[in-house]
Amino acid sequence: MPTKSERFATEPAAEEAATSAGGRLEKIALPLAAAALLLFVWTAAVKLSHTNVFPSPWKVVTGMRQLVGRGVLWQYIYDSLRRVLTGYGLALLVGVPAGLALGWSRNLASAFDPVVQMCRPISPLAWMPLAILWFGVAEAAPIFLIFLGAFFPIVVATMNGVKSVPAIYLQAGRNFGLSAAGVLRRVVLPAALPQVLVGLRLSLGIAWLVVVAAEMIAVDSGLGYLIIDSRNAGKRYDLVVAGMLLIGLIGLGLDVLIRRLEKLESVRWGFIGDAA
Amino acid sequence: MSDRKRIGLGVAAWVLLVTGLHAWLNVNWGVLANDFVAPDQRKLNVAYIPVTCHLACPVTDYISRFSEAGELFIPRMFQGFPEIKEALIADKMQAAFIVAPMAIALKSQGVPIRIVYLGHRYGSAVVVQKDGPVKTFADLKGKIIAIPSRFSDERLIIFRVLKKFGMKPSEVRMVEMAPPDVAGALAAKAIDAFSMGEPYPSQAEIGGFGRVLFHAREYWPDYMSCVLVVREDVIAARPAVVQTLVDGVARSGLWLEEGRPHREHAADFVGRFYYNQNPKILRWALTNPMDRVMYTPLSPRKADFDLVRDLMIETGVLEKKIEFEEYVDTRFAEGAKEQVAWKYEAGTNLAR
Repeated sequence: MPTKSERFATEPAAEEAATSAGGRLEKIALPLAAAALLLFVWTAAVKLSHTNVFPSPWKVVTGMRQLVGRGVLWQYIYDSLRRVLTGYGLALLVGVPAGLALGWSRNLASAFDPVVQMCRPISPLAWMPLAILWFGVAEAAPIFLIFLGAFFPIVVATMNGVKSVPAIYLQAGRNFGLSAAGVLRRVVLPAALPQVLVGLRLSLGIAWLVVVAAEMIAVDSGLGYLIIDSRNAGKRYDLVVAGMLLIGLIGLGLDVLIRRLEKLESVRWGFIGDAA
Repeated sequence: MSDRKRIGLGVAAWVLLVTGLHAWLNVNWGVLANDFVAPDQRKLNVAYIPVTCHLACPVTDYISRFSEAGELFIPRMFQGFPEIKEALIADKMQAAFIVAPMAIALKSQGVPIRIVYLGHRYGSAVVVQKDGPVKTFADLKGKIIAIPSRFSDERLIIFRVLKKFGMKPSEVRMVEMAPPDVAGALAAKAIDAFSMGEPYPSQAEIGGFGRVLFHAREYWPDYMSCVLVVREDVIAARPAVVQTLVDGVARSGLWLEEGRPHREHAADFVGRFYYNQNPKILRWALTNPMDRVMYTPLSPRKADFDLVRDLMIETGVLEKKIEFEEYVDTRFAEGAKEQVAWKYEAGTNLAR
């Protein structure tokens, strides 16, 4: 039987060394090959169908270069990111404490859980008319929609995270003489953190997803605006697709960044299966 | 009953229920059946949005149903211009009522359409908050004005008036909004003004939150905004059908100009059966005063369109000059000159 140190130190290290070269190749080459294949299919479909509406990949690239030339592309990306991060940040500030409270107090959960579950499936798009009524056509309206998109998933993930902390942890905490606040801070929060992080990751995705709808509200910059604006501009579907691709790529980047949080020491134990 | 059987039955019942409800509530069987008719017999799909600029479309449809020939085309209501534009490009709509500058821009971008007739004359207005700070146009400096599309005469009229007041375009902020949204936005003070076709100015007036700052014709004497466009392939293959459509619209225009009873009747059936708007609002828009919107003369005139085109170039929404003859086909308007008003009165259920 291997000793503890052998199990934890040697085996995974040996495996990693054996697979790292092949793994890296897989991680880069396979996605690139798939992307190339899709680009090929796209180009072929445009050529074969003789469409004069749907743009080829090359036309999309030229469209993007035009945007760079006009000096608006970076501004649009920056504005979209700013709106999403503001809305998301606010959702985080309000959602995590709300989720903690709902998970911690049975009474609060009984009272508010139905409301949360009712509001959760309402698309941010449906809130648009109200957002205009409340916030006008200024910057606050799209941020409000992004906030709504991210808020409910954060609340639910945090609440479930807290609820699923095993009772025995709480008892152990109390046996060590921790006060209620101490148990919350030193036991519940760390134990719920991995699940909360999963919620944060999902809701960042949703916040970014909402950006197109949010920027339909009479703002005059951003990637969502780029799509709406190109649509209104007659036959500029190259820019519509360019906007879609940029949103996809930045979404991917955001996901990669937030996944890094899952590697942090304090939460890694929750993702053992993932990390291996 | 075994579990498997129960689940199978449940799934089958659910699929049946959803299919039935879909067929009952969502499917427009007239439209669907039309797709199975031989191409040269098929009715044209004509797109419009619920504004009085497009009123001749539902009026023609409604009255023609009482005529011997029956329904002339299939009217299809949209909520905004971008969707109509896409349906036209994709050949899902063969004809549409759209704003004139959008028709010119689409044609110059290579979309195969032609303007064959006008939808109306006049009937657009700039509306501000009733007791708000805007008393004259100059007060709109730094304010937000909603327009239906960058390709609209409602936008061009703002530029014309800006010039009259010696103001620069950068001194106001124009935002594009779907027409049905503007009255609510003005009421909520989310925007300071809007430039739109009827009945939205009337809606704001009746609602008590809006005041007409000026009607478009005050600064643009022969103002027109929406036109009827038809795809070129349809014009080439089926000119007779296009002529019937234009004749029908021309006859409705003349019928609407025959006096208050016709206009009030039109407000009633269009509001109830087509636009889903309170007929009271349409009645206000159509009779207050009677020439607030006009439905004759509707033949396209070169001078009107040259003015629109030049304003488009000046305001940066059209890149190169395009000639009247390239985007207008006046044949059908010529052909419709002999037409007379529909002979139709409310309640008779007979039209000739």
